Amino acid sequence: MTAWALSSPAVLLVLVVAITPSLILLYQAFRTPDGAAFTLEHFERLFNSRIAGQAFWRTLRVSLITTLLTIAGGYPLAMLIARSRERAAALMLGIVVFPLMVSVVVRAFGWIVILGPSGIVNQILPGIGLITEPLALVQNEIGIIIGETQLLLPYMVLSLLAVLRNVDPHLEEASLSLGANPLRTFFAVTLPVSIPGLLSGVLLVFSLAITAFATPQILGGARSPMLTTLLYRNVFSTYDWAAAAAIAILLALLAIGFVTLQRLAGRLWEKSHG
Amino acid sequence: MADIRPKSAKAEMLLWSFGRVLFGAIGCLWLLFLVAPLVIVVAVSFTSANYLMFPPPGLSLQWYAEVMQLSWFRSSLISSFLIAAVSTAIAVVLGVLAARALSKRSFPGHMLMEYLVLSPLLLPGVVMGFALFNVLVLLHMEALGLPNLIVAHTMITLPFVVRSVWSTMAGSDASLEEAAHSLGATPLKAFRHVVLPTAMPGIVAGAILAFTFSFNDVTVSIFLASREAGTLPVELMADLEYSANAAPAAISSLMIVLMLLLFMAVVRLGGLKAFVNH
Repeated sequence: MTAWALSSPAVLLVLVVAITPSLILLYQAFRTPDGAAFTLEHFERLFNSRIAGQAFWRTLRVSLITTLLTIAGGYPLAMLIARSRERAAALMLGIVVFPLMVSVVVRAFGWIVILGPSGIVNQILPGIGLITEPLALVQNEIGIIIGETQLLLPYMVLSLLAVLRNVDPHLEEASLSLGANPLRTFFAVTLPVSIPGLLSGVLLVFSLAITAFATPQILGGARSPMLTTLLYRNVFSTYDWAAAAAIAILLALLAIGFVTLQRLAGRLWEKSHG
Repeated sequence: MADIRPKSAKAEMLLWSFGRVLFGAIGCLWLLFLVAPLVIVVAVSFTSANYLMFPPPGLSLQWYAEVMQLSWFRSSLISSFLIAAVSTAIAVVLGVLAARALSKRSFPGHMLMEYLVLSPLLLPGVVMGFALFNVLVLLHMEALGLPNLIVAHTMITLPFVVRSVWSTMAGSDASLEEAAHSLGATPLKAFRHVVLPTAMPGIVAGAILAFTFSFNDVTVSIFLASREAGTLPVELMADLEYSANAAPAAISSLMIVLMLLLFMAVVRLGGLKAFVNH
């Protein structure tokens, strides 16, 4: 009883400001425009719309490639940090974590300066004769993928680090001294131990990639809408709020699904290895 | 000492150490990838040119002087500070109380309370932002920029405070509080003199994370910001579409420096554990 009394201000805030507005949106997504009856027309319209279809597949494609890239970067970084001496490890961990505290707008702008039409890459590469035409690296999926990879790599590193810290380095040494080459050692010793961290990292990064907004808005532009930026456009440009509500329900389902999967995976792992 | 290992083993050792160097180099390249956008933004902010170019033709502080004159920068900076400070203060009070409740072991609905209090983390920012905007329009309250933003930011930062404080409370010794009770302290006294001091590092770290999250948020804020109360990241994002000069770089650099200071404070307080545990 006292526990609920203590937490009542927080619970009240969440009920009024988070839960109720979400339920109202859910209700509206299933109402006819005049509010008289229940309908699935907004969802049908969404599934039949070419631009929404493109945004849906682009969202999945970009999120998948981003997740794969964070795995490619996550393993070397996490292993480097796990194997380094305390001071070097703390410094590298700081470099990995600090970008999380910097506004996503600032980070996306940094990529515009680097990758934009008059950005660093497009000034240096023609200068040394590698390209003649400027490369289109922003306002398309490449820009979104690069931006989201930088955005989400820290989460993958932290997830992998949590499990790699527990790998006994002697195990790897033993494997190596018994004649297994480094690659085989990685696949036979390191990878199996890191599976739970990899799994939770993948689910986390993928769901954050699907729901990222400012990065695709700045680096993808109007020509490559994702589900989140399409929702925003439906609210403020085309004023199709019913469609926006349907996209919101789709995004919420995806996000809740992934969080549930992550919890489930974590619990299953604890049960089998607890 | 004579090496008695066969030649092939020696070659393998060489290959292995080469592999390690290569591996370290790949890791360092990824580190570079992570900091590149931040470093570049700071570097170009000192340009003396009138538009963004690299390398800068000369160094100057002109863009810092320039942005100080921008009225939208000054007003949105003040809004952002105000919103972040007030919503953090409220979130800390509500969050400490909720964390105290959650750290009590078993009571009916523990799981439900945990889900409720942490639920703002569950929904995507665009969904939360649109849902709030939708309700505010229904209530004809969408023009009240500042109070709307403060309430919304209190809600989205609450989980950060709860998790941070809860983890320090869960780690602290419950018997201390019991001792205080048995020595005749009222629950309020025990809370003030025993529970609160031990939870303080978690409270401060949670407050810094909440402030940071509020100060940086664009996804929810972009739906709620009015013309009078635009936050700094929202205004910066709008400005990026129009300006090709180094003003956004100077503003970004100032934001990076502010975050670096807060980051160092977090590291001082509890090391990097606050991040690693999440």
